[in-house]
Amino acid sequence: MPKQEIDAEGLFNLSLSIVGLVLKDGPMLTSELATHFGFSEKTITKAVITIANSEDVGRYETHFYVDEDLLAEGEVDFTTAQSQLDRPPLLSKRQTTALAAGLDYLAAMPQFLDNADLKQVREIIGSGTAPITSYQPVGSESVLLEVQRSVDSQVQISAEYVNQLGVQSVRTIDPLRVEFVGRRHYLRGWCHSNQEVRSFRIDRIISAKATGQPLSPEAMSAEIPVEVFGTISDELIVEIQASSEASEIFWNFPAVDVKRNQDGSSTGQIRVGNLQALGRHVCRYGGEVVVLGPPEARAAVTDFASRALGDERVAENED
Amino acid sequence: MATAVSKQKPAERLFTLTCCLMAAPVIGLSKNDIFASVSSYGEQGSDFARNKMFERDKNSLREMGVQLEVIDSSGFEDTDTSRYRISKGSFAWPSDFQLTGEHLKLLELAAKAWNSQLLARPAQSGLIRLRSLGLVEASRELSIVTPRLLARHASFAPLAEAIDGGKLVTFSYRKPDGDASVRELTPIKLRFIEGQWVLLAKQQDVVKNFLLRRIISAVEVSELAGKVVTPEEISLAEEDLAEFVSKNVARLSVEHGTEAWWHFGATEDNVVMLQFMDEALLAEDLMEYGADISVLEPESLRLRVEDGLKRVLEHHA
Repeated sequence: MPKQEIDAEGLFNLSLSIVGLVLKDGPMLTSELATHFGFSEKTITKAVITIANSEDVGRYETHFYVDEDLLAEGEVDFTTAQSQLDRPPLLSKRQTTALAAGLDYLAAMPQFLDNADLKQVREIIGSGTAPITSYQPVGSESVLLEVQRSVDSQVQISAEYVNQLGVQSVRTIDPLRVEFVGRRHYLRGWCHSNQEVRSFRIDRIISAKATGQPLSPEAMSAEIPVEVFGTISDELIVEIQASSEASEIFWNFPAVDVKRNQDGSSTGQIRVGNLQALGRHVCRYGGEVVVLGPPEARAAVTDFASRALGDERVAENED
Repeated sequence: MATAVSKQKPAERLFTLTCCLMAAPVIGLSKNDIFASVSSYGEQGSDFARNKMFERDKNSLREMGVQLEVIDSSGFEDTDTSRYRISKGSFAWPSDFQLTGEHLKLLELAAKAWNSQLLARPAQSGLIRLRSLGLVEASRELSIVTPRLLARHASFAPLAEAIDGGKLVTFSYRKPDGDASVRELTPIKLRFIEGQWVLLAKQQDVVKNFLLRRIISAVEVSELAGKVVTPEEISLAEEDLAEFVSKNVARLSVEHGTEAWWHFGATEDNVVMLQFMDEALLAEDLMEYGADISVLEPESLRLRVEDGLKRVLEHHA
């Protein structure tokens, strides 16, 4: 379980929660509470001391009787003295917003489609009814399962992959982690062809098969970069301008010097590994993103859009 | 036995304040009662410092979901004659509120998805509160997927704050085919639909959906309280959206063997049918696949894609 430090409000929240649990289920070990709430035993002890120290100094009344000898031995036991508190407050609106949005997010993931538990818990928390989904990459469902299984069992996979330029290849990958970022699944894995950790979009993996080979030592010791776009070699700096609605394009590339203009648009530089890929990213916004330079980057965009429209149409436009 | 010999810590102060207010008689406690009961207030050097500390604590309690009621016969809030108590409703969990291990596992994942962003802390603290409802063995089956949601819209934080405080908000909103207009509304919920953050909000008397990416100004949170929204209004709006989506169907032709073909899960006849929430958003997804896709229907979508690509050419001529 994660061990983490805690601030005053966090400790207050934990104390309220411990009151609820111990009064309901009876005495518990500090270690049990630590596992249950995901904090260190030290933090749990701090929270119990918070409960123990609560008293009304005006009325000389203590709120809880905490057995401090037992606490020193790692056991948490207390009874109510003058307190009326026996459970934590309901979730605050902000806690509800945060959890509900997180659950909504899970509901958008294909593997949770039709998940009855998720549907129930969303109703309980109030995050909404059934997910409103449109297309889910159908083919990638089985790929996702296979990839998840190989992450779990720590074996290499052989994958047929189409990269963002449409080039197909077969890769040997040591799968390290599956992430669902934004709206897509990525496999983060050690790519044997490139000898580095790469991100593979699951919907671009045509097929994946576990080879039964254990992960390579390089993969085991590799660090996974935070961002899915990873490092880019042979990069080109491209200056772009995006309308307010399309400014999310700056989230998809390593971006620098992004400035918001008076009209709400943003201008900045992005680092691009491949111009052809830039073409599709820019065209997606249907004119809401404009490449300011360099000229070869603008040409790549025009090229992509022309091909999408068909050559005759370009001829018409040029007239 | 209390062991309070040293100075009260902030968490102890909040906890003691909560206990004192919970134990208060029906008429509540006066500020002086509270100052006499909670040791930290007494230790403050001046009335000013005491009041300031109390103001901060009141806010903290409210933010944590402890509903503080102010009772004042003068009709003004927070005067020296005000009395305070905690609404018992703050602690009234529904009797049928029950979570299973599977539910908890999903809530853990939901909290984890925030990945130290904006609402990561309230998600975690909410989870702790839910865990106090019982020692349900959270399913130990490790989820292989690490969800990471992205909530980088500048409007996200102020909207969450306004939902939290039940306040009105104002912002400029631009529909894909229209001009920008200023909207004043009561935000209700932030939802994640089809890869987009959507605000459910009440504008005048109608509950509607707004895409966060179409908010083109800063969000101003008003001091004024928002409108009352009933659960029925919310579910009605959600049903309306679901029904609307079910009627929006697109038919596409995709080039065999291309990335698009795999992505959309096309069948051997190279045709894909899909439902969508918003035509302009779908058009974006399609433009990204360029020549690999052509829209068969609806005609409005086909034109939208074509016009979008033409605009790209115009802007890069």
